[in-house]
Amino acid sequence: MRTNILGIYDDEDVVLKAVDKLQDNGVKVADVMSPFPIHGIFEKLNLKTRMPLATFLYGTFGVIVVFAFLYWTSVVSYPLKFGGKPLNTLSFIIIIFVLTIFIGTLFTFLTYFIREKMYPGKEVTLPVPESTNDKFVIVVSKTEEMTDMDVKNINKLMKESGAVEIKESDVNYNS
Amino acid sequence: MYNTRVRGVLIKGNKSYSDITHEVLRPMNDKTPMWWWVTAFLATGALFWGVWGFYNTITTGIGAWGLNNNVAWGWAIINFVWWIGIGHAGTAFSIFLLIVRQKWRTSINRAAEAMTIFAVMAAGLFPLIHMGRIWDGFFIFPYWNTRGPLWDNFNSPLFWDVVAISTYFMASFAFWYIGMIPDFATIRERTASKIKRKIYGVLSFGWIGNAKGWLRFETAAILLGGMAAPLVVSVHSIVSMDFSVSVIPGWHTTIFPPYFVVGAIFSGFGMVLTLMIILRKVYRFKDIVTDGHFDAVARILTFISLIMATAYLTELFMAWYSGNEYELFTFMQNRVTGDYTFAYWTMITCNAIIPQLFWFKKIRKNIPMVFIISIFINIGMWFERYVIVVTSLSKDFLPATWATYSPTITEIAIFVGTIGLFLLGVLMFFRFVPTIAISEVKSVLKETTTLKSFTDED
Repeated sequence: MRTNILGIYDDEDVVLKAVDKLQDNGVKVADVMSPFPIHGIFEKLNLKTRMPLATFLYGTFGVIVVFAFLYWTSVVSYPLKFGGKPLNTLSFIIIIFVLTIFIGTLFTFLTYFIREKMYPGKEVTLPVPESTNDKFVIVVSKTEEMTDMDVKNINKLMKESGAVEIKESDVNYNS
Repeated sequence: MYNTRVRGVLIKGNKSYSDITHEVLRPMNDKTPMWWWVTAFLATGALFWGVWGFYNTITTGIGAWGLNNNVAWGWAIINFVWWIGIGHAGTAFSIFLLIVRQKWRTSINRAAEAMTIFAVMAAGLFPLIHMGRIWDGFFIFPYWNTRGPLWDNFNSPLFWDVVAISTYFMASFAFWYIGMIPDFATIRERTASKIKRKIYGVLSFGWIGNAKGWLRFETAAILLGGMAAPLVVSVHSIVSMDFSVSVIPGWHTTIFPPYFVVGAIFSGFGMVLTLMIILRKVYRFKDIVTDGHFDAVARILTFISLIMATAYLTELFMAWYSGNEYELFTFMQNRVTGDYTFAYWTMITCNAIIPQLFWFKKIRKNIPMVFIISIFINIGMWFERYVIVVTSLSKDFLPATWATYSPTITEIAIFVGTIGLFLLGVLMFFRFVPTIAISEVKSVLKETTTLKSFTDED
């Protein structure tokens, strides 16, 4: 069973300083839970996302697929002149533009849920339910190599950095 | 990251994070108020009348409407464009203001987006019934068929419309829903009721609010917003092309796309004001939606109103400058003067003149006055579409075919029905969804409380 040490804070700026302090002392901060995104935390925890790249690829895919479809239907499958315009016309741009956004949006939306492993009705138990309201939680994983001394040290660092409460929890919230 | 200067206190009353959660969720926990039931009753009545109009149209055919050979587009198209215009508010509001990092959007964006969803739903009904044979509606999709296969005309603005509006609906919904997930999780963790916990548990998709989750959340919001921003411009440009690619005098002008887009944002912001003033009043959100927020929207409206006035004048100028006698006739003898003088001047008064009152600080601060002006904008924008559709069609190139148009009771019923549908949607939203984006308001709370008040800025 994995146990986490949780430092509970009630201010976003205090949390940022606390993360710095823990990291400066060689403690690995596993996660931070908050009621809203804290600016600057992503860099500190070294978190990155490749979603923009994914969206770009979806968009590229969209442009190609939609153009291929329009070209195939209008030029290859059933070439029919409308209003004296060429079969492969410039006005395809409009549909390509809009449907590219359609494909990009839909796939980005789905990617978000797939990457977050979120789906309707997923059951979760939060170690600190107030973290969706007004509490900020710094999560440090308690590994087997940690001695009692290390744990005490982490507790001390959290306390010094302004935690309002420190507790241990085996709730596996992020599965 | 680029940040704009914060214009003072956005949330008044020195609130804690918990206060905000409590205040926004309070109306959802209270007993359903009486005004809610009364409005819901009226809206349902309107909706039922609309269903009758709908039924009448489907069983009788388009003959149930007051259309004729000349005026082949009547209230259906007017109302369609009107609703789509209103539907531009949410996206224009949240997304443009997100991109230019205006933090004051956070108190209003959720409601504006909800409005978008319901307005686009109402708008979508009109093209559907205008087809007459609604059961053949699937013809619009380019599917493999036994007629060749014969495909759609991909150069037709009516096909672009279908694509644009379904994309717009999907994109607005995706953006709106992702934004609501953390707030649903907040309700899930707070509620004592088992049923509520279950429902909001399902809606919150298992949101936990950890750092990686927030990173992906913010990235998804900016990506979806970035993709939807060009849609705001393209949707109404495409709607305007329904008119401008034809050769009807009064429609065949290059100013139409920008003129329609600006008009859409204008009516959308007008409707946002109308609804937010009501929402703030009934839910006592005075500290979160401050006078400063309304002031900011009113200033934007003043500016957009000037653009509208410029567009109206440009149309008149071009009618003269083009030397085209049909254009000149349509504008001068069938709009400025003539049978439709009332509609034309109502449009000018409501859209270009009345909003200029917002130049006065006294009026911007007077909320009942702001409310009344916002209603005038909604009416003016409806008349704008009426002027465009009816005047141009009623008197075209051949005087022998001139015709007048007035709606039948069926058309009126359908319009009233869509208002009922929109109102019901908004009422559901008021009752079951956090009407203000809790997590977003919290994220701007701290950096904006120590500064001087938003309202006293100038």
